[in-house]
Amino acid sequence: MNSHDQFRELLEAYAIGSLDSADRALLEAHLASGCVECAKALEEARWLVSQLAYLAPNAEPSDLLKGRLLQTVRAEAAGSPARPQAVRGAEVPWWLWAGVAALLLFSVYSAWNEQHLRNAVANLQLQVEAQRTERLKLEQQLLAAKMQAHEAMIWSDPKSVKIKMPPKDPNMPQLEAMWHPEMGLVVRGWKVPSPGEKRVLQLWLIPKKAGGKPMPSVTFWPDADGTFTAMVENPPHALSDTQALAVTEEPMGGSPQPTSAPMWVGGVS
Amino acid sequence: MFLAVFSPKGNDEVSLDATLMQQLLRRDVSAFEELYERHSRIVYSLVLRILRQGSTAEEVVQDVFLQLWRNSARYDTSRPFVPWLLTLARNRALDHLRLKSERQRRREEQTEELPQIASAAPEYEKVLDEKRRAERVRALIGSLPSAQKKAIELAYFEGLSHSEIAAALNEPLGTVKSWIRNGLMRLKESLQATS
Repeated sequence: MNSHDQFRELLEAYAIGSLDSADRALLEAHLASGCVECAKALEEARWLVSQLAYLAPNAEPSDLLKGRLLQTVRAEAAGSPARPQAVRGAEVPWWLWAGVAALLLFSVYSAWNEQHLRNAVANLQLQVEAQRTERLKLEQQLLAAKMQAHEAMIWSDPKSVKIKMPPKDPNMPQLEAMWHPEMGLVVRGWKVPSPGEKRVLQLWLIPKKAGGKPMPSVTFWPDADGTFTAMVENPPHALSDTQALAVTEEPMGGSPQPTSAPMWVGGVS
Repeated sequence: MFLAVFSPKGNDEVSLDATLMQQLLRRDVSAFEELYERHSRIVYSLVLRILRQGSTAEEVVQDVFLQLWRNSARYDTSRPFVPWLLTLARNRALDHLRLKSERQRRREEQTEELPQIASAAPEYEKVLDEKRRAERVRALIGSLPSAQKKAIELAYFEGLSHSEIAAALNEPLGTVKSWIRNGLMRLKESLQATS
């Protein structure tokens, strides 16, 4: 196998973005050298990788999203500059030409001025939009940091009660929960398999009161590593009124009452 | 030139997208609305699969379509539209994911390649309609051994590198590399197949 063939073998991984930095640097240097064959093969690999999008489970965005988008687009279209019109010539007296020329000059200046102002407004809008996006990102980071700090406080505070949630299936990992009487409840899991397609995991609070129904709480998914952290800042029952925590698998969006047998249950002591 | 199933519908769909994009250059809102109707579901499905949170996914889809509207002049209408749009959506969603987890800078460098992405499509894109291609992609990837399928999903939907995937799956690096390449090669063969 020559070096060119070795580069060809890296193209799919480069297109999907999984090449480690050393291989990526080598391939990029080869592409930068002007290899037409590899450049063409890379374009095809990128197309192929884009087809993996069809592996995503079908889902539909809300009508609100379409409404918001169209509102923005219509507003921006209304502010678009008009297309320049062609000017036809005709036989007219010189003084009329002079008037027309003056008017034309004025129109051109007005159009230029209007265009200039529109561009300025468009630039300002772009700047506002960029700042809005940046602010949203910062807010998200701040929120995530606050959540993490809150979780850490619950997890480390001596007033928190630790609840072990053994699985019903011995092949599944155990979950752990920590419940603080004022700060709320955190449930964590590691190496937890993903629920089925269009399914989520849901937390339930089982009341101590005889005949009391399980109270629905948050829904969550483990990430690719099987790790998750679910936090309930204001549990519907107090710690002292709760007999146990349970986790079931439910349809996307969660259920008002359990539709499947609990996969994990942990008694609250 | 690849062999492929002839389907006039596939070709029509490609040229309809190109026509709509040309209309978008003239700030035609109805063309934008039609492009949204045609492609918002797959874009949203992809972004939701990556981010796993409906509200964030809608925010990213909104960004993607606004970028389409505002930067339509930067799109070359002679080139395939849907792969370009899907790549744009995937990169935007992975950017969000990276923001959350502050994952490595590797993807930031790749984001800059956006204008070149999917700049040419193989012949079979023009002759297999979207629905049939989607069926073939799902069938082929679904037929792979579960660990190989997982490796491809981690690369595509989570944006992980070979090394990260090897660590996550506790498999040798070489095995992961082979899984991803062979899986994509099999997908390519499946999309080229005549039946």
